[in-house]
Amino acid sequence: MPLSVQNVMFQNAVEPMQVDAPPEDNDNNEEETYIVENPSLDLEVYANSYIGLAKLYRLIFIIDHCPSLRLEALKMAISYVMITYNVNLYQVLHQKLAEVTSNSSIPDVAAQSTSQDVPTIDSMWIETRSKKAALKLEKLDNDLKNYKSNSIKESIRRGHDDLGDHYLDCGDLSNALKCYSRSRDYCTSGKHVVNMCVNVIKVSVYLQNWSHVLSYVSKAENTPDFVESQTKDTNLLTSTKLKCAAGLAELATKKYKSAAKHFLQANLDHCDFPELMSANNVAMYGGLCALATFDRHELQKNVIFSSSFKLFLELEPQLRDIIFKFYESKYASCLKLLDEIKDNLLLDMYIAPHVNTLYTQIRNRALIQYFSPYLSADMHKMATAFNRTVSALEDELMQLILEGQIQARIDSHNKILFAKDVDQRSTTFEKSLQMGKEYQRRTRMLILRAAVLKNKIHVKSPQRETTGQTSEITVAPGTSTVLAARN
Amino acid sequence: MASALEQYVNTVRNLSSQGNYRELCDYLGKSNEVLLKNAPHLDNVLETLDLQQHSLGVLSVLCAKFNLPNSANTADNKFVQAQDFINGCNGEQIRLVPDLFSELCHSLTAYLIEQKQPMKGILLLKKAISKLQLYDSQLTLIHADLCQLCLLAKCFKPALQVLNVDITGICQEGSHGPNGAQFDAKYYLLYFYYGGMIYLAVRNLDRSLYFLEVAITTPAHAVSHIMLEAYKKYILVSLLLHGKVQMIPKYTSQVVNRFIKPLSQPYHDLANAFASNNSVELNAVLNKHTEAFSRDHNLGLVKQVMTVMFKKNIQRLTKTFLTLSLSDVASRVGLPGPADAERYILHMIEDEQIYATINQKDGMVVFRDEPEKYGGPEVLKNLETQLALCMELDRQILAMDEEIQVNPQYVKKASGMQDEETPSKSTYAM
Repeated sequence: MPLSVQNVMFQNAVEPMQVDAPPEDNDNNEEETYIVENPSLDLEVYANSYIGLAKLYRLIFIIDHCPSLRLEALKMAISYVMITYNVNLYQVLHQKLAEVTSNSSIPDVAAQSTSQDVPTIDSMWIETRSKKAALKLEKLDNDLKNYKSNSIKESIRRGHDDLGDHYLDCGDLSNALKCYSRSRDYCTSGKHVVNMCVNVIKVSVYLQNWSHVLSYVSKAENTPDFVESQTKDTNLLTSTKLKCAAGLAELATKKYKSAAKHFLQANLDHCDFPELMSANNVAMYGGLCALATFDRHELQKNVIFSSSFKLFLELEPQLRDIIFKFYESKYASCLKLLDEIKDNLLLDMYIAPHVNTLYTQIRNRALIQYFSPYLSADMHKMATAFNRTVSALEDELMQLILEGQIQARIDSHNKILFAKDVDQRSTTFEKSLQMGKEYQRRTRMLILRAAVLKNKIHVKSPQRETTGQTSEITVAPGTSTVLAARN
Repeated sequence: MASALEQYVNTVRNLSSQGNYRELCDYLGKSNEVLLKNAPHLDNVLETLDLQQHSLGVLSVLCAKFNLPNSANTADNKFVQAQDFINGCNGEQIRLVPDLFSELCHSLTAYLIEQKQPMKGILLLKKAISKLQLYDSQLTLIHADLCQLCLLAKCFKPALQVLNVDITGICQEGSHGPNGAQFDAKYYLLYFYYGGMIYLAVRNLDRSLYFLEVAITTPAHAVSHIMLEAYKKYILVSLLLHGKVQMIPKYTSQVVNRFIKPLSQPYHDLANAFASNNSVELNAVLNKHTEAFSRDHNLGLVKQVMTVMFKKNIQRLTKTFLTLSLSDVASRVGLPGPADAERYILHMIEDEQIYATINQKDGMVVFRDEPEKYGGPEVLKNLETQLALCMELDRQILAMDEEIQVNPQYVKKASGMQDEETPSKSTYAM
């Protein structure tokens, strides 16, 4: 699991004086372990769309969940980690590699050919890298001290940023976060503030501290300079970055609708954020969230006819087909296409935990839309339209009816779904009678309570003489100490 | 020794004949010790006093008798004496010392419970309540005793007559005391707790929930065991009646949330399991906490909650299905087999909880819509009675409001506030 890696880092991270809140609201903890068998993913292309820790984390996620791509991903990750200072991760990766090779060495024929180019752990590299990292750290630290003694704001800010970059390179996230946020005090222009925010957001995403991400996104968006010069090219770049980060945070906290809205505001021409996500990701995350939460009208207006998001959809033709099929009410092929891309989605570390929820929501939306124009529907036909057996469909429909999403009843004998006609008159009678009852009850209690308060009846703590008056229960004003004993 | 008693008798006689009851009350308060010391001669004293004229004196003596450590020779006649007294005493005099009178009733109740003859006291206490009350809807300290006896005797009808009257006022006790000893919260809580149990026993769940809610919303600065038990029952009854735990009103005291809720964890577990509609889960909770439930004497109720869940699930099915096979019903509801499902559905049809027909040949159930219920004169009548009830309550509230409006203290405070406000406003304007 990638978590184990991250947890190691968290543990390193939490120790020294912690300025910002530790990433406790990371809700990926309950993530299940699953195995993806047949992904159609081109690992090379996939990995090349990311840089830095994003690439490593994504590769690690694949290593943990996909045995067929494991070795390749490991090799890629190790060769990439060699150019950073992240010695810790290097060791972890090698550990994983050792596990993989020892497991697969016996039966796998292919292993023989690959085993030759399996990288071996290079202790020399570890040593020199650690030393270099320490040296660089010392140098940067000294520089910063110099800047501080000269008290040139701009240099101090840059010094902090550089130090942050270096920590990030070493994989020390909490220190990186600390350095980046420290530079806040030395920002002289709005641009610097935004820059600082983007840095903090980046690290917070790595730490999966989503509330942090959101607060810094809004901080950046409210920076005066940023608001004014909205049109400039660089600003479009950062605004897309911010939207993507916000969308990701909303997605991770299961607020799919606002996630979709954020992603839809991204701009393809300025979507360059390889430290977090690729344009393909934006298309996929945004498209799926929109499909799951938007109604028909919103889908048409904001997704299908959106000139900016259309460009994103071109990157993911499968997704585009899915959305169009959904819109054309061709649910069977839509759902089939969805199933086809499921494996790949499960290898994406950010959307994988939400795939099942999103898929059910999309299904439910489809079922509701399918039935909405009818008074009665044959469930056999419905089942074929949704690639389901009749009994499975029945269960799904039952759930929807109970949740009040479909107003209908099922004739299980003839397998027909009937729209329910609500008897307005009866329900009105029922409601008004119930309201009357409720009013009486509440008023009675009110009158009684007025009497109680007037007579100052209340349970007091000092224990009166307990005369053992009741046989069934212990006597009235018990103190909390008595209860503690009882507990 | 005898002279002390003689003096007592004389004082009682003198003060009673002068109608100087207030002084007599004070005297009685002091003479308690004298009576206790002269225990063997109390019967003689009683003979010299008249029930109607010297009710206060007799009451005091009887209280003393019940307070005595149980001696064999006097034990037998004291019930008869108390009975005669309650039947024959003078209500006006009694109402001057409600606390003493209630004390007598408490002692009597305790005595009867000890003798295992709760039935004997029921009518007597009803009489006692009506003697002490100024009006029907007034709560006295004796109400709780009556309910307790009825519960023990498993004879609920007499209690129901009392319980069905909604309490609007509370009998102030100890009007003679300098600091006005208050109505004891214990008896208030007990009345509503027992009342809830009695209604539960006669399957009036709605009313039972109301009583328990009153009990748990009582103002409290400390945890009362009665409230704790009431809260546990409240959860169970709420599940039985509504299928979910009702929200507790906002004015419930902090104590309930802070201490009572954590102490009722097994019940909350049960409620959560119930909310999942999953019989397996509910069973697991039941097995896990059986000991706690049976210790609280709530196991029977918990088992009822089990059956209610099946019924609730069947009712849910009627909302979603028009026809369904019995075996499907069983599997969806979590019953062991179609036969059980048939039994449940049959009972529910009989109780008019669902509207359905069972086709035994195909093993199908056809759920129907509710028949037109709201037609005909009886609906109109029902509506009218309900309206009248609501209006009556509204009138009551208005009257209470009026009472407050004309309350001198309130007027003074309200106008005083305005006096303070006006100058401050003007300064602000300046």
